[in-house]
This record gives sequence, C-alpha cells and structure tokens, in this order.
Amino acid sequence: MIEKTINFSRRVFVEKTATVAAAVTIAPGVFLHQVAQAKPADQAVTSAVRWGMLIDTNKCATGCTACVSACNEENGIQSHDRPATDQQWIRKVKLRDTQTGHITSLPMMCQHCEKPPCVDVCPTGASMKREDGIVLVDKHICIGCRYCMMACPYKARSFAHETVTDQKDYAPRGKGTVEACTLCVHRVDEGGTPACVEACNAAEHGAMIFGDLKDPESNISKELEKHGGTQLRADLRLNTGVRYQGI
Amino acid sequence: MLQLKQLMHKSLLMVVGSALLALSSAVYADGDAERKASFMPDIPEPMNKSLKCVKPEEDMKKNHMSYILHQRDKTLREGIRTPTFSLKECINCHVPENSTARFGDSKHFCSSCHNFAGVTIDCFQCHTDRPAGDKKHSLNTSSLPHYADTSAEGVSK
Repeated sequence: MIEKTINFSRRVFVEKTATVAAAVTIAPGVFLHQVAQAKPADQAVTSAVRWGMLIDTNKCATGCTACVSACNEENGIQSHDRPATDQQWIRKVKLRDTQTGHITSLPMMCQHCEKPPCVDVCPTGASMKREDGIVLVDKHICIGCRYCMMACPYKARSFAHETVTDQKDYAPRGKGTVEACTLCVHRVDEGGTPACVEACNAAEHGAMIFGDLKDPESNISKELEKHGGTQLRADLRLNTGVRYQGI
Repeated sequence: MLQLKQLMHKSLLMVVGSALLALSSAVYADGDAERKASFMPDIPEPMNKSLKCVKPEEDMKKNHMSYILHQRDKTLREGIRTPTFSLKECINCHVPENSTARFGDSKHFCSSCHNFAGVTIDCFQCHTDRPAGDKKHSLNTSSLPHYADTSAEGVSK
C-alpha cells in the first residue's frame, strides 16, 4: 500500500515535470505563464514590484518569539547579554490598552518605507532603498555615524558594537556598521520568503504574509483590499511596506 | 694595486650576479618544492583543480579587486547575484569547507598572498572567510539553488 502511494506520487511528479518542460519548450523565449517567481540572477530589481509584509496582530501569539529566533538564526545575530546594545533586526512588542486591558502582541522591524528617513539623513549614501522597496545599509560605505538610527521612528536599526564572527555567507555583518532587517533580501531575490514569515507559518500562527504590494493578485494585496491594514505612525506619511491588522 | 682593486670589483660583481641568477631561477621555478624553497608565498591550490578560474590567473592576480568591487555594488544595490565575480564563490572554490584556517593565517588562500604583499583588506571583517557548507537555516526546505537540497525528500517537495 505504502509502495503504491509512493509510486503514484512519483508518477504525478514526473508528469508535472514533463508538463512544465513542454510549456517551457513550446517556443524559445515564449512562456505560457510565468513558471517561477524568482527573477533571473543577472537582472537588476525593478520598481515593477514592491515587497511588503502584512501582520495580523490578532493571530500573533503573546509570548511567541518564533520570528525573532528565526531571524537571529538566519542572519547569524548573536547576543552579548547586553539587551540595551545587542543587535536586533526584529523584536516583539506588547501593547496594553489601559482602558480595556486588551493586550496586543506584534513583531516590530524595519518598515521598509517608501520615503525612508534613514536614507534622507545618511551622509555617505550607505543607507539606501532598492528599486523594489527594500531598505538596506551598504556596509561597504557605512561609517557608523548612527544618524539613521536616530532618524528612524520605529527604532528598527541597531549598531554592531562588537567584532562579529561566524557570519552567514549571504548575510555579511561587521563591527562599526549599522544594520537592520533586510527583508531576507538574499531569499527574496531567489523567489523565497523571509525567515520570520516561514517561522510564523511553521509555528502555525500564520500571522505574517509576505508579498508584492504592486501585484493585485498576490495574497498580501488581496488581503489588504479585503480587510485593510494600518501603517504605524501613518501621520509621518512614510508609506511603509509593512502593514498591521488589528491595531 | 689598481689591478688588484679591479679584480676585487669584478669578483664582487660576479658574486652579486650569480646570487641574482639563483634568486630569479627560484622565482620562476615551476613546482611546489621549488616554490616552497623560495621566498614566494605558498598559495593553497583551489578545491577542484579541474575547474578553471573565471578569468586567467594573471588577470585575476592583477584585477581581482576591481571585479569584486564592481560586483559588490551590483549585488547590494541592484540585486544581481551572478556567481562569476562573487566573493562567496571565490571562497567556496579556494577555501576547504572544513578548513580551520581563518583570514590572517598564512594557510588561508587570501591571506597567503595578502600577508606576503603587505596589503591590508577589510573584506573579512564582515564577510565569512570560509564556505557556508550546510549552515543553512533549519526551517529552509527550499530546493532553490541558494539552498540546494540534495536529499530526495527535499526535491520532491
């Protein structure tokens, strides 16, 4: 019985592969539909997409830190047991409504603003926004002045005070530079999703949706159209890429 | 007296000349033993000797820094992640996966020459100086090239 099941799934797998191969080889350069979401590695990112994230705070569990530990593991962030100065790319925030006593839990990270204040204040051009809306620090030219940290209304950036060892090959980090959430840009460029979103789904909370805000067919756009989402500090008119529900 | 002086001068020149000759033959000697015997740095061979470098060796010796510099801006700012001039791929090919040599040790590919030439670089203050190997995220089961998973289970997913 087990063997049959395996054979069946194998056959389906082969058939699917053959179909995809046929679709691709109909004519050179002609595709019936886009097979993979990932852009070719040799092409630059464009403003045709804008990456964003939607967080449903009602699904986000109080006390759960799956997203935070996933981020730390993914990007090789180590603690020095100094919470005030340790780097953090994502953190959990607990809000308590004094009127009702209702507690809201939410993850907080770089909001990937359309008009990022950190980019405005950077004296070297190290703080930058990619065409697809991801805000990054170019650590090659960051001088560690930390203006961006002060300019950020979300306290999203942190400074590497200590020598960093055992970095991940896709996430270079070093002493004397500012760093923040990269929206797992190394994964996104290959058609993947950020580590925090994967971890949230793995923990069966499903509070985070990642996707293209400019694609009306993406899950995030559909959800935003249906139920809406709020920006944190919308009064600053930064048009954040990260949106929240339930606050 | 003058003749003696000239003779001494001549013999000195000959000694210096032969020393130079010996030195140059050591420099151009092709073979590990001779190279080790000379003052030239002992540069570790790449992992897979059958693979050719992305550019001829002479070109890489001269221009690797410009290739890497150019690629770094393309990657960071434009998201172009081609492997050809990626520092990551340099490391993957030139540093053994389980190597204990860190940048700064004479056995590390980059520092073997940089130490010799006295050229300080800060690449490895941020970038890892060893291949990533299987240090990928435990949650990641993607079969995308970056996270190539060779197990049958990973492929059929």
